[in-house]
Amino acid sequence: MLDVKGITKKVTTAEGDLTILHDLSLAVAAGESVAITGASGSGKSTLLGILAGLDVPTAGEVILNNHSLTCLNEEGRAQVRADNVGFIFQSFQLLPGLTALENVMLPLELRGNKKAKNLAMDFLVQVGLEKRTSHYPQQLSGGEQQRVAIARAFASQPNILFADEPTGNLDSTTGARIIDLLFQLNAEQNATLILVTHEHRLASRCQTRIELSAGEMMPSQGKQ
Amino acid sequence: MLALKLLLRNWRSGELKLLAVSLILAVAVLSGISIFSARLESTLLLQSNSILGADAVVSGSVPISQEWIDRAIEDKLQQSFSTTFMSVVYADDEMQMASIKAVDSYYPLRGQLDISHVVYAENAVDIRTASAVPAAGEVWVDSRLFSALKIAMGDRISVGDVDLTLTNILIDEPVGVNPFFTFGARLMMNIADLPKTNIPQENYQWLLAANNGKNLTGFLEKIKPELNQHQSIATIESSQEQLTANLKTAKNFLVIASVMAVLLAGVAIAIAARQFSVRHTNQVALMKSLGAGAVRIRLLYFGQLLMLGVAAALFGLVIGYGIQEIVAVNIKQLYRITLASSGAYPYMLSFIGGLVCVLCFALPALWFLPGIPPLKILRRELAVNMPQVWLQIGLALFAMVALVGLFSRNIKITLSSTLGLLVVLGVACVVSWLLLKISKLFISNLGGVWRLAFAGMQKRKGQSVVQVAIFSVALMLLLTLTIIRTSFIAEWQGQFPADSPNHYIGNMNAADVADFKQFLLDRRIDVNPIYPVVRVRIAKINSIEPSEELRNRHPAFKQELHVTDFDSLASDHDIVEGQWWDLWQKTAPDRVGVSVDAEFAKLVGLHIGDQLAFSVGGLALNVEVASFRRIDLKSLNQNFLFIFEPTALDRFSPIYGTSAFIPTGDTQYFNHFAREHPNLLVLNFGSMMENIQKIISQVSNGIGLVLWLTLGAGCLVLFAAVMGSIESRKQEAGLLRALGSSRRLMLGSVLVEFAILGFLSGLIAIVGAESFLFALQHLVFKNEMQPHYAYWLASPVIGMVFIATLGVVCCRSVVVTPPAVVLREAT
Repeated sequence: MLDVKGITKKVTTAEGDLTILHDLSLAVAAGESVAITGASGSGKSTLLGILAGLDVPTAGEVILNNHSLTCLNEEGRAQVRADNVGFIFQSFQLLPGLTALENVMLPLELRGNKKAKNLAMDFLVQVGLEKRTSHYPQQLSGGEQQRVAIARAFASQPNILFADEPTGNLDSTTGARIIDLLFQLNAEQNATLILVTHEHRLASRCQTRIELSAGEMMPSQGKQ
Repeated sequence: MLALKLLLRNWRSGELKLLAVSLILAVAVLSGISIFSARLESTLLLQSNSILGADAVVSGSVPISQEWIDRAIEDKLQQSFSTTFMSVVYADDEMQMASIKAVDSYYPLRGQLDISHVVYAENAVDIRTASAVPAAGEVWVDSRLFSALKIAMGDRISVGDVDLTLTNILIDEPVGVNPFFTFGARLMMNIADLPKTNIPQENYQWLLAANNGKNLTGFLEKIKPELNQHQSIATIESSQEQLTANLKTAKNFLVIASVMAVLLAGVAIAIAARQFSVRHTNQVALMKSLGAGAVRIRLLYFGQLLMLGVAAALFGLVIGYGIQEIVAVNIKQLYRITLASSGAYPYMLSFIGGLVCVLCFALPALWFLPGIPPLKILRRELAVNMPQVWLQIGLALFAMVALVGLFSRNIKITLSSTLGLLVVLGVACVVSWLLLKISKLFISNLGGVWRLAFAGMQKRKGQSVVQVAIFSVALMLLLTLTIIRTSFIAEWQGQFPADSPNHYIGNMNAADVADFKQFLLDRRIDVNPIYPVVRVRIAKINSIEPSEELRNRHPAFKQELHVTDFDSLASDHDIVEGQWWDLWQKTAPDRVGVSVDAEFAKLVGLHIGDQLAFSVGGLALNVEVASFRRIDLKSLNQNFLFIFEPTALDRFSPIYGTSAFIPTGDTQYFNHFAREHPNLLVLNFGSMMENIQKIISQVSNGIGLVLWLTLGAGCLVLFAAVMGSIESRKQEAGLLRALGSSRRLMLGSVLVEFAILGFLSGLIAIVGAESFLFALQHLVFKNEMQPHYAYWLASPVIGMVFIATLGVVCCRSVVVTPPAVVLREAT
């Protein structure tokens, strides 16, 4: 599903070039779940951005579902994301002007799905928010907002789901429920899951764990 | 369709309301004013044309050719033929010189004939509008001829060899071409009786009118080269210069008012669009992460904007129509004038204006959205290439100039407003930059609210400068409109005081002049200058007869002119070159001088010192050009191309003429006087005065309405500009509150900050407004500029109070909300 070959990411700063990721390679099979862990500033989010095609590496190649993201321009990568990728973010990233239902409908509508409303409704039922469909994000609790975000991510039935600290803004009880929901839906959809987290509890639920330190993979990485 | 869905969702969430309201306001003001001025213009033109009796009159000493008549029919023009001539008319033993007009059944094409059976009828019940002209064999005369001939209704009057029956007294009729020089009492007969009079004719008039102005203009352009030297075309512009000049002023005022309002709405649109686009940065990043490409984002957002623009423009048109209809109904009730229809043009122009607002004010703010990187969704700190605010201001400025040019179609108004805007923006930048620089030096010595206020401004340097620029532009536009509504209109109105002359009395001999002066003295009516008038022909310029080319440049060479001699310069005349008689008679006591209309002199190429030879009934009059005069065309006073030095015309037995204000209460006495002097020409142009006064009132009403709308737009702009800084204040306020700052201290700092910005803006605004008004007075209205001192004091104070209040009201929520909530929202 995902093949990463020797990617490096450098950024230019006032003090000169700074290497954020250094010659990383990995392969993720379809249906596999991978946790990327590491301390703050280790390059986790940068790696996630590159794997999802939101950013491009300075060197190396990323192949997602047989599409070389590094050879495509932004329009091409957008198309690959539209066809393959779902996202869950730490800060939920729900649009404040849209209801829960409309937030879930958005990716489907962007794909031109005629049954967007019905599909979105189904997923809101699956995350247990059937009675909150017309609520706006600010009328929902943090856990409910993340459930809407999960419904949105799965509604477009992605081949691969990227999650950036999905429980980072939640208390531990709510976080635990969200983890259960995430893995339950992932199992049902048979999607590949790549998540960035600080939480050992969440990382331990994944089949593979990659630990980053200063932009390099730690030797402890591997399948659990 | 997704764009429409997103538009509706954004509308529901309230994010588009400011943008939509600004757009609606812009189109409402544009359409309201455009429709109103188009209706006003066509109404006033119709009214003006009713003075002429037609939209245009072709006059000449030969009958109109059949070919022209056929072409006029082809061009769907309405036509009427009339002939005017002077002749002695008889009734029994009485005889009197009369000005006779023979008309066909279509006369007049514009305006109406008022008739009565009561001599000197003044009461509305005695006067009726004629449904037709005098039938063949009938004649109508005016009241003075009625008295002079000592006749009664049904009596016979002889005109040449034909006897006609008196059936009506003519009370009012279109005055026609060059009304000041019509002599004698008036008589109207049917053109069918004309051949029977056996009076040779040499003054044919062909009246033309068209429902479509373009048809007539095109037709006149076609026949103009074919006119022979004895024919001329008169339109309201050429025959009623005063009315036309005032119409133009009216139109300019309305255009400037609407342009001010639209500029302000434009600023509101630009600010609203920028705030909308900033709020949507994250949404776009999310949509891109979900797979929407830049092209899709562009289509979605530009599509929303276009749909919003079209809907707002249509809604604005409806409101604009409603607003001008309210004014029209008001005018109808106040002045009993029904405004003519405007046609589709102003609607189309306003709709296009609305779209221009969308494209030039709103679109640039949204331009950067498709370029937002999708990675922004993961990394909030990622820099986004926002459009430079100065680039946006530059584009908006360009759009403003384009809009002003489009609507005013007047390069001088466009230049003036551009100058005003540039002055404001330039001064705003320099002054606020200086304030920030200087305040840095003493900020550490300040305490409490002052220190916090200046620190806030330092922190938001760019935003502070932009805010001062926006506040200044908004206040400048409001000030300009207020000054136009008050001082300018008052100055204009001041040119036509209630006691402006309303009658012209001509054809007086020396004895009549003495009687008339006595009459005015008895009735305690002010005496205006009484001009001696003789008819002359221009014979030679510098001993050379005018060439054919010169003769074609001005009709003055082809006809007899009325000239005068007079010693004092009228207040509405201005010597632009040379000397008036007080100096002339000292420097050239042995030469006879003449003062020439400056425009005529320029057209013909005359110079001071040129020798002119005139023929006065076969006698020669040789003079030297002593001065050039400019005449205020808006004035109602009579204009002469040539004014000779005093007594120069005495030997030519002049007749005398003057204008006077006859108060309503003295009308019957004046009529009695006129009855005793039936040879006098009396022309009542009170209706023309009324027309001009009506124009001023209507324009004043129109601008008053625009001022209210502009105030609305101004509040929107100020509100939007203050709200623009709310987000950046939130986090700072939360932090300061968490660290223990009191609400009082924070509200105090907000108050001081906005009071300083408001004071500066008020000061800069009046500088910009005065520059704009100076340019307008100089370039457009050709008046002397009077500084508006009261506004120099009021503007900074109003700016300070209003903007400080607005700032405190808008920022209050940030300060009074618990710090935890503010900090959570801000993260």
